[in-house]
Amino acid sequence: MMSGRIEHHPILGPLHSRKRIGFIFDGRTFQGYEGETIAAALLANGVRTLRYHEESGAPRGIYCNIGHCYECRVTVEGKGNIRACLTTIKEGMTIRSGQKLPAPFKKGGDQAWRTF
Amino acid sequence: MNMPNTIVCRCEEVTLEEIADTAKRYRCSSREVKLRTRAGMGFCGGRTCRYLIEEIVRQAIGHATFDTVPLKYQPPVRPVSFSQLGGEQR
Repeated sequence: MMSGRIEHHPILGPLHSRKRIGFIFDGRTFQGYEGETIAAALLANGVRTLRYHEESGAPRGIYCNIGHCYECRVTVEGKGNIRACLTTIKEGMTIRSGQKLPAPFKKGGDQAWRTF
Repeated sequence: MNMPNTIVCRCEEVTLEEIADTAKRYRCSSREVKLRTRAGMGFCGGRTCRYLIEEIVRQAIGHATFDTVPLKYQPPVRPVSFSQLGGEQR
């Protein structure tokens, strides 16, 4: 669980112990610390892919990490397009990643989604 | 590093090559490049790549764009949901 966090910073000192928080990302339960953003907590747990591009399905993760680029947008408690890099985790928070969307009218693409 | 395939506009997945080729082929402004390739028209509203697109087009056609109007942005400067417009607190 502690993977990826700087526990002993040469200037800032040791990482203070904070309250542990459990949250759910795509059905999997993770642990983070109070005050961490969704993106930071997932990164510390080794999860780098936050969503897949709507059209191409290419994986996306943290890009700007300051709320600028919206590359890390996820669905939080059913609300879409929430920036994982700015939103702090809360106990029991349910987060879903973005997935590739069907493109039934695209030339030569995604025939399986065709329903007509 | 494969420069031509570098993605400039991540929202719409437009590569450096596509933007430069479009600018050269049509000898057009950054706005026309934007409309032809969708670069800068994605979710972030071109906030990330707008200046890159303008610079790539400027270099590709060798001078400032014909209309010399930079790619514009307008309110709302960030995506706003209907629930927010309806008064719901975030």
